[in-house]
Amino acid sequence: MESTRKQLIDLLENEQGHISGQQLSEALNISRTAVWKHMNELKKDGYEIEAVRRKGYKIVSYPDKISGNTLQWGLDTAWIGQQLYHYDQVESTQDIVHQMAKQGKPHGTVVIADEQVKGKGRMAREWHSPQGKGIWMSILLRPPLPPVQAPQITLLTATVLAEMVAAESTLDPQIKWPNDILVNHKKVSGILTEMQAEQDRIQYIVLGIGMNVNQDAVDLPPAIAHKASSLKEESGMEWNIQRTIQSILRTFETTYDQFIDKGFEQVKAKWEHYGYRIGERVTISTMRDTWEATLIGIESDGALRAKRDYGKVEKLYSAEIHWGEGGYDA
Amino acid sequence: MLKVQEIREIIKLIDQSNIDEFSYESDGAKVKMKKHQGQVVTTPVQQGQPVQAEQPEPQSAPAAPAREQQVKETPEPKEEQQGSLDYDKEITSPMVGTYYASPSPDQEAYVKQGDQVKEESVVCIVEAMKLFNEIEAEVSGEIVEILVEDGELVEYGQPLFRVKSK
Repeated sequence: MESTRKQLIDLLENEQGHISGQQLSEALNISRTAVWKHMNELKKDGYEIEAVRRKGYKIVSYPDKISGNTLQWGLDTAWIGQQLYHYDQVESTQDIVHQMAKQGKPHGTVVIADEQVKGKGRMAREWHSPQGKGIWMSILLRPPLPPVQAPQITLLTATVLAEMVAAESTLDPQIKWPNDILVNHKKVSGILTEMQAEQDRIQYIVLGIGMNVNQDAVDLPPAIAHKASSLKEESGMEWNIQRTIQSILRTFETTYDQFIDKGFEQVKAKWEHYGYRIGERVTISTMRDTWEATLIGIESDGALRAKRDYGKVEKLYSAEIHWGEGGYDA
Repeated sequence: MLKVQEIREIIKLIDQSNIDEFSYESDGAKVKMKKHQGQVVTTPVQQGQPVQAEQPEPQSAPAAPAREQQVKETPEPKEEQQGSLDYDKEITSPMVGTYYASPSPDQEAYVKQGDQVKEESVVCIVEAMKLFNEIEAEVSGEIVEILVEDGELVEYGQPLFRVKSK
């Protein structure tokens, strides 16, 4: 059922001009009436379809309002988003996925909201997630890994987001350790991961992605305007949120599968390619100590490598980094 | 009933002997010892009064923090301090990271000393690379001691809480 609808969209998309009802019914092996019914369903989900006598159908515009259906139809993935839930407004997509995880929902379940009223940031700092302007989603993962490897998944996710931005625009995204996405030194996306684990086994991970997409400068809270931005502000173009989500999910699936299969090496290389201020000096604060260091890359376990002036290389797992001008403090 | 001192003597003797296995029973208290690769292992078994069996003084270097289990059954490794805390389980950190006692700075700690916890109670968060790991107690009992401070960096396998299990 779902695949007929998806095939129908594919056929319409791949046809330059119009495609007749007869052709569609033959290609999909369904009746003309069924084709017509599918067309009506598509319209309900926001597709604008032109029907011309003797010529057939053509998609004139895609829905800008996202729905679980429209997201899933163009997805083409093996496991991610096979269960996908879309809400107009939620408190936090993270909380919903936690619930779903406890109810036994499968690996790859995705929850997306147009608006979050209690979006979670680091240590419950609020993430401003206004209506329809960005991507607020959480993904349920059940990786066959020990908990010590889990942070690698958050770094992996950062590379997926950076790649998506680089592929879809002329922007030059960077990853600020561990996993903020910056464009022109301003944060456009953040990742927050929560995990339930035993000592040797991950029960599940809730991977939260927040991305400022179509906000204008006025939509961003003034308090963060100097350090946050949106893809639209930086690129000067409106982004199709639905396609952006699909692109993220597709790339995530491929990258994740490769990582599970082949390990972290490739992710590490990509991360370092996008790494922010790698090779530059920063100030680092831990509980006991504040010191200057040169960032030199990441470890195979995702820890940040910082070289002290006298040569010693420290591995950082959790630290406040003062990024200096442009970048803001973590 | 054997005294700790006596158990220690026996351990020493067995350790120096060729005996692989030793068991002793008296008044319902059983002590069993088995050698594994030259190490002496004591296994106190059910008994009326609790005997705090001492582990052999670490003539072999103490093993790295238990990798395989979050809750280690660790009899006191040293002589008990006077007024010692009575505990039999430790909750350890499954990864390197920052220890957070509460879900956010303006909220109360997940647990405090004296709290009762269940297996699935969240007792703290350990954060590394923006990955927030909610640590569950995995044991049911009373938190008798909190070994780390909010915001402290903890190591893999580092004990975070001492628990008197039910």
